[in-house]
Amino acid sequence: MSSRKKILLKVIILGDSGVGKTSLMNQYVNKKFSASYKATIGADFLTKEVLVDDRLVTMQLWDTAGQERFQSLGVAFYRGADCCVLVYDVNNSKSFDTLDSWRDEFLIQASPIDPESFPFVVLGNKVDVDESKRMISSKRAQAFCQSKGGIPYFETSAKEAVNVEQAFEVIARNALAQEESQDFNPDFPETIPINIGEENQGCSC
Amino acid sequence: MATPTSPAAQDAPAEPPSPPSPTASFYDMSDDEEGGYSTIRHSKTGKGVKLLYTKSKVYVHPSPSAKDNIPGYIALIQQKPGLERTVSATPQSSRIHAERNGLLLAWVPESSLGSASDIYTKVELADGDSPPKQSYLVPPPPITTAHSSSLGTYAFAIPLTEIFSILVRPPSVGWWFGSVIINTRAGDSFPALFFHDSECQSTIQQRKKLQRESLEISASGQGMFWGGDEVLRWLKRYVTVERSVQEPNIYLIEPSEADKLSFGSGGKPTSDNVRNVLEGKAKDHPSPSSRNKDAQMDPVMQALKSARWNFLEKMAQVTTFTRRTAQAVAENKNLPPQVRRLLQNPQVQTVSDEFDSARLYLARWAMGIAEQSEREKNQRMWTAKDVLDMEDSELGEFEIVDAEQMSLADKRKPVTLKEWNGFFNSRTGRLEKTPDEVKERIFHGGLNADDGVRKEAYLFLLGVYEWDSSEEERDAKMNSLRDEYIRLKGAWWERMVDEQGTLEEREWWKEQKMRIEKDVHRTDRHIPLFAGEDIPHPDPDSPFAESGTNVHMEQMKDMLLTYNEYNRDLGYVQGMSDLLAPIYAIEQDDAVAFWGFVHFMERMERNFLRDQSGMRLQLLTLDHLCQFLDPKLYDHLQKLDSTNFFFFFRMLLVWFKREFEFTDILRMWEGLWTDYLSSNFHLFLAMAILEKHRDVIIDHLKGFDEVLKYVNELSGTIDLPSTMIRAEALFRRFQRMVEAIDKKSNFPIPTVRQRLPQPPSESTTTRPGADGKPRQASQSSSESARRSANLAVIASGPGPGSSSSKAGASTSGRERTTGDAIAQGIGAEKEKVISPELRILLSKELPKLDKHEVREHGGGVGS
Repeated sequence: MSSRKKILLKVIILGDSGVGKTSLMNQYVNKKFSASYKATIGADFLTKEVLVDDRLVTMQLWDTAGQERFQSLGVAFYRGADCCVLVYDVNNSKSFDTLDSWRDEFLIQASPIDPESFPFVVLGNKVDVDESKRMISSKRAQAFCQSKGGIPYFETSAKEAVNVEQAFEVIARNALAQEESQDFNPDFPETIPINIGEENQGCSC
Repeated sequence: MATPTSPAAQDAPAEPPSPPSPTASFYDMSDDEEGGYSTIRHSKTGKGVKLLYTKSKVYVHPSPSAKDNIPGYIALIQQKPGLERTVSATPQSSRIHAERNGLLLAWVPESSLGSASDIYTKVELADGDSPPKQSYLVPPPPITTAHSSSLGTYAFAIPLTEIFSILVRPPSVGWWFGSVIINTRAGDSFPALFFHDSECQSTIQQRKKLQRESLEISASGQGMFWGGDEVLRWLKRYVTVERSVQEPNIYLIEPSEADKLSFGSGGKPTSDNVRNVLEGKAKDHPSPSSRNKDAQMDPVMQALKSARWNFLEKMAQVTTFTRRTAQAVAENKNLPPQVRRLLQNPQVQTVSDEFDSARLYLARWAMGIAEQSEREKNQRMWTAKDVLDMEDSELGEFEIVDAEQMSLADKRKPVTLKEWNGFFNSRTGRLEKTPDEVKERIFHGGLNADDGVRKEAYLFLLGVYEWDSSEEERDAKMNSLRDEYIRLKGAWWERMVDEQGTLEEREWWKEQKMRIEKDVHRTDRHIPLFAGEDIPHPDPDSPFAESGTNVHMEQMKDMLLTYNEYNRDLGYVQGMSDLLAPIYAIEQDDAVAFWGFVHFMERMERNFLRDQSGMRLQLLTLDHLCQFLDPKLYDHLQKLDSTNFFFFFRMLLVWFKREFEFTDILRMWEGLWTDYLSSNFHLFLAMAILEKHRDVIIDHLKGFDEVLKYVNELSGTIDLPSTMIRAEALFRRFQRMVEAIDKKSNFPIPTVRQRLPQPPSESTTTRPGADGKPRQASQSSSESARRSANLAVIASGPGPGSSSSKAGASTSGRERTTGDAIAQGIGAEKEKVISPELRILLSKELPKLDKHEVREHGGGVGS
C-alpha cells in the first residue's frame, strides 16, 4: 500500500442503447470485443489503472443501460463523476440527436459545481461499418462539439480497436484535471439518516 | 447485587461493598481450613464462599438498547456445608447428594465486585478442567430462589438444588450471543444471561486451546465452542444434567422420575461421566475423549454439523467462487475456527470450490443470526417464558436444516410428463387435483427438463389456460388465440408498410423496431436455438443485414413487435427480450409463446414503466425486508449508502435471468409462476442471495460501488437449488415473525394466507380510516399513542376485514410516496411494524397493474 492517496477517477459513459458503450469500455479495459454483449441492465463498472503524466490513477468506468427510462434510478452513480463520455453510433442519426439531452440530463443529475467547465468527451462509434451506412459526418459531429464549448471528439471502433486508447487517454487526463480542480470538496451528506442509534427496534409488547 | 452479607441476612437488602479504607483490600491469602490448600479470602471478616468457576462478560440485557447491557460474571460457588439451609428446601433437595449441598449458581454484575474482581479474574483464567487447587474465597452473594425479587438489580445466586432446568441457546457466528436462562423449581425464571464470547478472556483461551488440539478438519469440529458449553460442563460435575427430549434446548437439573418421564429421556441412563461425578469420582479427570464429548455435547449441533458436511460436499460439485471472494472469506475475523482451519488447509486453498462451501456454511448460520437478533432486539427482558412463547410461533434456528432435508425428499423430484398427465381426467382433460396441489409439486420439484412437460404446463402456470378448463375448451381457446396473434401481427406489419399515424408515432415505431432487433441479436445467443446466422436478413437496411439472422431470432422479433402492438401503452422495453426467450425456447411456436409472454408480462409490466415506480417499490420492499430479517446487514448497507438496493435492479427487472444459466432460469421461473408461497417470492430469492453473502458484505465492502460490483459479479456463481431452499426458509421465517408480531400486538392475524375470523377487539373500534392519516398518533397517553401508531401502520395492510382487491393498486407503488417511506422508517425505529410493503409479501395475488395506470405511466404511444 502506498502512503500517497490513491486517485480514483470516476467516468460515466452515456448514450442510446446499442451504440457500443459496453463494447468501448471492454475494448479499452480488457482489449476484447464480442459481438454478443448483452444489453446492459442496471449499471456496472470496470476499473483500470493508468499512468497520466507519470501519475498512477484508477479509472472507474461506469456503464449504464441506454434506454432512457432506466436513467431515472441512475442518480446514485452519477454523483462524484470526474468526466462524462457521450457515445453515439455514426450510422444512427437518432443516437446523435439525443447527445444533447444526454448531456443535459447528466448535468442535472450529477449537478457538478461548475457545469460550464465539466469535462465531456464525445465518441462517434462504429466507424468500421461500411461508409455507405454512415449517417453523421465528422464535420457535423465536430460542429456540435464546438458549439458545446469545445468538447473533445473522437471517432472510434470498439470492434477494431480504432482510436479507443487515444480517446480514453484524453478522458483520463480531463478527468484528472477535473478531480484536481475540485480541491477540497468534501462530500456533504446527501441524505439525513433517519435511523440513527444502534438499536432502532423497540419492544412492542 | 452481590454484597458480603452474613448468611443469616441473605434475603435482606444489602449495602454495596466498600473497603474499610482506601488502601485496604478485602482479601488476602490464608489457609483453607478444609482442604489444606492455600486460600484466598476476605481479610476482614474471614467469611466467604469458595469460588469454583467463573466466567466473565456474561451480560444481562435489560433493555433493547446495547448501552443498557450489564456485564457480569456467572459463577459456581460453594458455601460451607449447611449454610444454604436458610433457603426453603424443596422435597427434591433432600434426595440430593450431600456434596452438592452448598453449591450456588450465581450471576453478579462487575460493578458490584469491588476488589473481589481480581479473584474472579484469577479463577476465571485458572488453567485446567477441574476446580482450582487453591481455594478462592469471595463475599457470598445473596441467595435468591425467585427472579421477581431481584428486578432492577438482576444479580442472583441460586442453590443448584433449586434449579429445575436451564434453557440453552447456543450462539452463531460472530455477533449474536449464546444465552442461558435458569428456571427455578418454584416456577420462576431469571433473566437471560448472554455470553459475549468475543470479550471473554477465558472463552478466548479455551477456544485457542481447542483449536490447537484439533488441527485437522473434521466433521465434528469444535469451532462453535462457547461460554455456555463451559457452564453445562461445570454443572455436570456436581449434578445430573439431562437434556429434555421434547425441548432439545432445555437441560433438566436433577430431574425426578416424573420429570424424566414428562420432559427427559424417559429414564435412559445418564452419561457415565456424570455418574462418575455423582458417585464421588469428581476429582477424576475426565479422559480426553470424554472431554471432547463434553465440548460438543449438543446432539443438535452434531446433527447440524454432519448435515452441513453432506450438504456442502454436494454443493461443492456445482458451485464455483471467485478467488477474490475466497480471500475475503479467509480474512473474515468472524469465521468459526473450524471454517478458518478449513480455509487454511493448503489442499483446500487449491480447490476454490470449497471456499464456496465455507460460504454456504456461514450463510446458513447467518440466517440463524438474523432470526436471533430480531428476537433479542425486541425483547426487553428475556425469560424462559418469552423464549418458549416465541418457540410456539416460530421454528428454531435449525429450520434451514429441515429445509435441506426436505430437499432430499421425493417431493423435490421434477414432475414428469407422465405424472402431469396423471393429474388430468383422461376423457375430459380436466384437472383432477386442486391447482394448489399441482403448484406445490411444481414449486418444490420443478418440471422435467427433457420430456416436454413444460410445453403444456407453462401455459397453465402462465395463465393462458384456466386450471379448471377441459381439453376441448383449451383447444378452442388456443385456436382463437392463434387467430388473434395473426391479426395483431398483421396490424403492425401494415403500420410498417403504410407508414400510418403521426410523424411522432412513425418515429416511435421505427425506433422500437430498431431497439427490438438490436436486443434480439444479443439475447441468449449462446443457446443453440438462437446461435448462428443461417438465413439472409429480410431487410437490407438493417444494421444486421450483412451478418444475417436465423429463423428463431426472426420469430423473437415478430413476437416482440406484436407485443409492442398489443400493449402500445407500454411498448417494448429493454429486458423484455430476456423474458420472452425462455418461453419461446420451450414452446417453439410463436403464437403460443407470444400469449405465454403476454401473460408473463401482466405481472412483469410494473418493472418497465417509464417512471420506474414498480421497480422503486420492489427495491423499497427489499429494503424493508432486509431491515426486518437482518437488521445488522441493513445497518451496514445504510452506512454504505446502499439501501436504495440498486444493486438488485438487474436481478429484479428480469427475474435473475442474467445471474443464472438458461436451464436454471426455467426451473426458477416455473417455481415463481406458481405463486405457491407468495406472488413476490422473487424478493425472497433476492434476500436469500443477499443473506448468503452478508458476512462478506459486512466485513469487506466499504462503498456503494463495491457492493454493486460484488453483487454483479455473483452472476454465474449462484447455486439455484440451495438458493430456492433458503428463500423458502426465509419466507417461512418472515411469515412466522409477522404472525408473532401480530399476535403480540393483540391484533387479529391479518395474514392473507390464513383468513381467520376477526374477533371483536379494541382494534376494530379504533381502526383508523383508510386515508392513512391517523399515522400521527394521539398524544393523550403514550401507551395509546404507541398502540394507535402501531395500528395505523398495520391496519393499512390488507387485513381480514378489508378487501384484498386493493393489493394490486398498492403494489404498483403509485400510492406510496417518499414521505410515506420516511414515515415508515421513523415508525420502524420505535416499533416492530409490518409495513404494507411487507404485508403484501404474504399475498399470492398477482401484482397486476390497472390498464389506465399503464396508459399513464407506460411511456408508449397508446391511444
